[in-house]
Amino acid sequence: MSRFSGALQLTDLDDFITPSQECIKPVTIDKTKSKTGSKITVQADGYYEETESGKQKLQKVEITLQDCLACSGCITSAEGVLITQQSQEELLKVLRENERLKASGDSDQVRTVVFTIAMQPVLSLAHRYGLSVEEAARHLTGYLRQLGADYVVSTKIADDLALLDCRQMFIDRYRNNAELTMLSSSCPGWVCYAEKTHGNFILPYIAPSRSPQQIMGVLVKNRLAEYLSLPSSRFYHVTVMPCYDKKLEASREDFYSEVNSSRDVDCVITSIEVEQMLQTEEKTLQQFEPSNMDWPWGDDSPESMIWAHESTMSGGYAEHIYKYAAKKLFNEETPDDLQFKALRNRDFSEISLEKDGKVVLKFAIANGFRNIQNLVQKLKRGKGPGYHFVEVMACPSGCINGGAQVRPTAGQHVRELTQQLEQLYKQLPRSNPEEDETKYIYEDFVYNAQSLLHTEYHAVEKLNTALNIKW
Amino acid sequence: MLSYIKRKLSESDSGSNNSNSNSNSTAAADLVRKTSQMSLDNGAIAYGEDALLHELGYRNATDLQETIYDLLRTIRDPEKPCTLEDLNVIYEDGIFVMQPTRSNVSVVRIEFNPTVPHCSLATLIGLCIRVKVERGLPHNIKLDIYIKKGAHQTEEEINKQINDKERIAAAMENPNLRELVENCIKEEE
Amino acid sequence: MGRLILEHTLQGHKGRIWGVAWHPKGNSFASCGEDKAIRIWSLSGNTWTTKTILSDGHKRTIREVRWSPCGEYLASASFDATTAIWSKHECTATLEGHENEVKSVSWSRSGGLLATCSRDKSVWIWEVAGDDEFECAAVLNAHSQDVKRVVWHPTKEILASASYDNTIKMFAESALDSDWDCTATLSSHTSTVWSIDFDAEGERLVSCSDDATLKIWRAYHPGNEAGIATPDKTTVWKCVCTLSGQHSRAIYDVSWCKLTGLIASACGDDGIRIFKECNDSKRDEPSFELLTGEESAHEQDVNAVEWNPVNAGQLISCSDDGTIKLWKLQE
Repeated sequence: MSRFSGALQLTDLDDFITPSQECIKPVTIDKTKSKTGSKITVQADGYYEETESGKQKLQKVEITLQDCLACSGCITSAEGVLITQQSQEELLKVLRENERLKASGDSDQVRTVVFTIAMQPVLSLAHRYGLSVEEAARHLTGYLRQLGADYVVSTKIADDLALLDCRQMFIDRYRNNAELTMLSSSCPGWVCYAEKTHGNFILPYIAPSRSPQQIMGVLVKNRLAEYLSLPSSRFYHVTVMPCYDKKLEASREDFYSEVNSSRDVDCVITSIEVEQMLQTEEKTLQQFEPSNMDWPWGDDSPESMIWAHESTMSGGYAEHIYKYAAKKLFNEETPDDLQFKALRNRDFSEISLEKDGKVVLKFAIANGFRNIQNLVQKLKRGKGPGYHFVEVMACPSGCINGGAQVRPTAGQHVRELTQQLEQLYKQLPRSNPEEDETKYIYEDFVYNAQSLLHTEYHAVEKLNTALNIKW
Repeated sequence: MLSYIKRKLSESDSGSNNSNSNSNSTAAADLVRKTSQMSLDNGAIAYGEDALLHELGYRNATDLQETIYDLLRTIRDPEKPCTLEDLNVIYEDGIFVMQPTRSNVSVVRIEFNPTVPHCSLATLIGLCIRVKVERGLPHNIKLDIYIKKGAHQTEEEINKQINDKERIAAAMENPNLRELVENCIKEEE
Repeated sequence: MGRLILEHTLQGHKGRIWGVAWHPKGNSFASCGEDKAIRIWSLSGNTWTTKTILSDGHKRTIREVRWSPCGEYLASASFDATTAIWSKHECTATLEGHENEVKSVSWSRSGGLLATCSRDKSVWIWEVAGDDEFECAAVLNAHSQDVKRVVWHPTKEILASASYDNTIKMFAESALDSDWDCTATLSSHTSTVWSIDFDAEGERLVSCSDDATLKIWRAYHPGNEAGIATPDKTTVWKCVCTLSGQHSRAIYDVSWCKLTGLIASACGDDGIRIFKECNDSKRDEPSFELLTGEESAHEQDVNAVEWNPVNAGQLISCSDDGTIKLWKLQE
């Protein structure tokens, strides 16, 4: 079974041909001398080119995840590619190599290993191993340190920055054009689907804000690198995420720096892979010595590392921006817990603010692929309900039910598990992005290079070569 | 009796999975000829079959086989500047006239041999073969198109696809695919 | 022995005709095909004539048409990846979302839900959300291949789908979270399942396949008398009868008459065949016999058959040969 979100599974149009055969990726062959009429013969172990001097093996084509993302074809062949480039095996290999370098005293080659942990995997693992959230976070930190982590940080700072950045962007857009819809951008499944399927129509609606994972990338590879006076290529940055689609996000060209030959996030592993790694070692999480997470962003580390962001479980974008906009634009106070009204199904809900009998703010949360469809169709038909902002997540129930969270036990319904995780979430302290430390970093970013918090989207052009068409 | 021979025939043909031995399928084709000759001087079952062929204007099964081969031999490879005949993708021995349906419509099985066992264009070639034959014959026919046994890594999947009439109909409505197929099956001036 | 009497042969469409559908009142029907048009036919005097032609709704072949149970709306599924909803000869809504060819469309008994399926392997359920408004209620990715047909249960909100992956799947809304889940997978066919139809009560299903067989399936509910195990307290569907030998090529459609219990099949060997349940048929091991067959019902593949829902024994068929035929079964 694919662990990608449903949105991505649908774009897989491949019916029968295995990835190696259907991918048509042009290869450039360096020709040493001009040849005419050379023959290419195919043998079981590869392609050969016949030249005057005999047979020469042609270079084998490597298909990278970036190639998959740039192609309008299937996406699930990317899954095969992920296995080699973004897997627990690859992670362990890099970590082992790093340990070897450390032991050999080759300090110029040793990489500083940073793990970033998102909130949702901690909930998932806490539930899986019967721990409190705080305990799970500390044991997980201990486990990652034992694997070779130099720093273990949480996404809290980036979650806060994402909210600060998105809300500012919203205010600017709204003041510029109050009719414009802004769609959230933190879900890579949604972004990838939009790029592949609806391209130039939908992309202008999507906020150009980086997701928290990619903000963490900037923080680690720029800020932390600067702080430690190390080039960013000397960091190995791993994130622990609730969904597979995050691997696709980390692999985007936009998040690779040619100059530093460094990727903002080098490897993404998911809740379910952490569970598998522990299983391979025949251990449970509690068997690892608990340890505190690091806070390399300033002197005052927060009292907890795992935080809730508003009451919804995907980062709190709709809620936070709504509250902020109501106050900032209309000087309206809003309750701590906003009451979103569920529409046709619980995964599509909305809220609006009226001023003098006129709706001035209309926000919605659309989770899951069916609601993405309904949203896109409404936008397309242009007779939509006029949303100012929509938080869009590809998974039903949002990120807490990410496709790579630990699966329910036999006989348990996904919904039951999600409800249990929601209970854990409700007990978390609520993060306040206004706090000094975050604000300071944000202002520093805005002052220096706000673009570091932003990204771009690219419509994927449909391939027109008939040889490539699957029918 | 006839149907028994034909069944044996298709078994023997499906048994040949050696790429360079055409001997099996040659033998099979001989059998087809023999059975059609046999049918000339044989009893009632065969009579109907040849009567059908005569009605359609063929001397015998070999005549139909040759007519179909003539349609197929000029199909151009989608990638290379050669015909399917040049590349030995199709061959006369790969065309089998089968027992007609109970509604008395000719059934023909065409087998082709992709140049390489992971040829990504095998489905396209299957598409060209079907469209060319269906358009080229002035009468109804039931076509079954198969990859030569053992000649492709994903043989079963391809066989299923190129015999699915709905998939074929939809493919021919895709303008890019259609253009490609039309170019491959166009008769050279 | 019964006999199929050909009553009318109708021409009008250009090219292959893919689908025909009786109006629920049984006095008119719609047809569609590769000419991208829908024709609505009704009887005037003693001849069936085209009353309306609906064109400009689709850019490619129209694969299937279905009337809503109230008879007010017509839905059409097309290779152009859309499903169109027609009311009073106007296209009032176009449902987009499938990645490529839509193969089939079906209205639920209440008319409140619509299902579609496509080569993109997905089955979609749409809620009728008011005039001309359809909301996507579920996207089901249970099949591993092209989905050929969707058919709703005659009384309950249960959807059945047939696929190129050789299986049939059942879907129902989970009481727990109002999400649609696959509740059963019916495996036994050895090739593409082209079509399916429930019997009048919805306790049995007939399926037809590229493997040239018809299969009868029976629902076994939790606590059934036959003692069939029902894991997770969900209904299990078992293949209780296979009809092989009568068809010589792929069977493209099957219709289970809700009035007479007769089964009609449309075959790639140009034939239409009628099956009747034997008098000594057993509940858990039913037997069916060929009541009658028309080997050369059409000049080419028969693509669809449907029993008249009101006028017992009247059958409609359409073919690659570009004709529609109306038949009367004489028992």
